Amino acid sequence: MTELLRVPHTMTLAWRYGTSWYFAEFIRALRDERRLLGLRCPACRRVYLPPRPVCGNCYAELREWVEVKDSGTIRAFTIVHTPIIDPTSGQLRPTPYGMALIQLDGADTTLNHYLAENDPSQLQIGMRVQAVWRKERSGMLSDIVHFVAMNNEQ
Amino acid sequence: MRRVAVIGTGQTKHAKARDDATQSELVRQATTRALADAGITIHEVDAIVLSNMELFEGRALPEMWVGEGAGGYRKPVMKIATGGTSGTSACIAGYHQCASGLFDIVLVVGWEKHSEGATQTGMALTDPLWDRNVASGAVGNFALSISQYVAARGVTPQQAAKVAVKARRNATRNPYAHLQIDGITVEQVLQSRMLADPVHLLDMCPQSDGACAVIYAVEDRAKKFCPRPSWVRAAVTRHDQPYIGDLDRRLVTMRTLRDAAREAYQRVGITEPLREIDVAEIYEPVSYAELAWYEALGFCAEGEAGRLIDDGVTEMNGELPVNPSGGVLSTNPVGASGVLRVAEAAMQVMGRAGDHQVPDVRLALATGYGVYAWSDVIILSAD
Ligand SMILES: [Zn+2]
Repeated sequence: MTELLRVPHTMTLAWRYGTSWYFAEFIRALRDERRLLGLRCPACRRVYLPPRPVCGNCYAELREWVEVKDSGTIRAFTIVHTPIIDPTSGQLRPTPYGMALIQLDGADTTLNHYLAENDPSQLQIGMRVQAVWRKERSGMLSDIVHFVAMNNEQ
Repeated sequence: MRRVAVIGTGQTKHAKARDDATQSELVRQATTRALADAGITIHEVDAIVLSNMELFEGRALPEMWVGEGAGGYRKPVMKIATGGTSGTSACIAGYHQCASGLFDIVLVVGWEKHSEGATQTGMALTDPLWDRNVASGAVGNFALSISQYVAARGVTPQQAAKVAVKARRNATRNPYAHLQIDGITVEQVLQSRMLADPVHLLDMCPQSDGACAVIYAVEDRAKKFCPRPSWVRAAVTRHDQPYIGDLDRRLVTMRTLRDAAREAYQRVGITEPLREIDVAEIYEPVSYAELAWYEALGFCAEGEAGRLIDDGVTEMNGELPVNPSGGVLSTNPVGASGVLRVAEAAMQVMGRAGDHQVPDVRLALATGYGVYAWSDVIILSAD
């Protein structure tokens, strides 16, 4: 029988994603003012991050901007040990690193982001954390390096 | 609505890499086996529904390239792609096509060839404006929601590992299953490589190459072709909000699965799922998820899932065997995985499950789980 083969293909691709009005405003405030903006639902009053034009629960249009703090509470966490290919760079992301779902103060949704801590015994649900920002900002979530534990419990 | 039954199923041998078969060839193998099982030819098939996540293989328009493997020329063919639920949603769509009276016999085929692509990267291609910069793929996302489930319910790593052991033990009685690792222990699961706390390598599903097909027929055709058809009694799907952070404690609450199960049980008249359902084939991509699904599906009260696995209730000889096939934890070609759940549930009702047959199955449950935004529930019965 003929030897079976694998034919490799490698692609370099480029995309350009439109922001619409709501992500344009979110990115502007993040990039130019280091502020995080959410949108509040007029019906259920939930504050959504990321911003979006409609509340999925109420199907109400969202127009009211609300500033959300860069501090929050850990609602879930893990330490990732298995390397994945970073979809923004194509490179393997070094491990281990901490990940959390963080409810930012003022938001009703949670944000998935990195933690500075990668020892699970030092983490717990309910812990207060604070964003560490990069000097240069582009308006993306990667403007935040990671979150660190807050020293003064509130 | 007309009564509809599954009259035949077929699947390929699932493996880490099926270099011997193209996607189209995998689909052809599953299709021809299902046709033979149903005792019909492709000419009796009126319409075809396909299920595949083409991003993983990087090949556009699979319904065109691969449709011929399913015998799709000059027939109505459509494709469904909703992550892990793709296969169960395709089965629900096929059922709707038959039950509505549009078609008398419908073929559903799902497949995936993960060995050809970059699955983890595909999973990380989340919203580019929001969390793509900080995405950690399926394992990271599962681990996050598992931390909430563990905190809320107190299930232990040992209890989750028992689910992983059960799946692999069952898989050894299924010649088509991908992972064939006989005799693994709870200790081996706990000592396997940590992927993301608390998920070990053996707690997680593999990535497989494979295909699976299911054939539906309306009542008169089903009775003509099949001595013991597997009747579809309920087929329910639910969708939810898109972002991982939108849903409060999603593995704990899992409102899509709860809502879908509630509606399906109501349609069939099931009030005590654990007692009334004879076998379940549920979509458990990770050991902890199976425990969460026990609660969401009403097999036990909240917080009782650990006891259910400790007591062996869901083992092959238990009151409600869960995943006699070995489940997603043993075989996971994503586009086929949901079709496999329905096929395996139907095989149990039809008495065609071979070495992993549960005795006297009258009522079987199949579920699908897609990212965290979809759940499907399908109930099949002998009458
Ligand atoms: Zn609302």
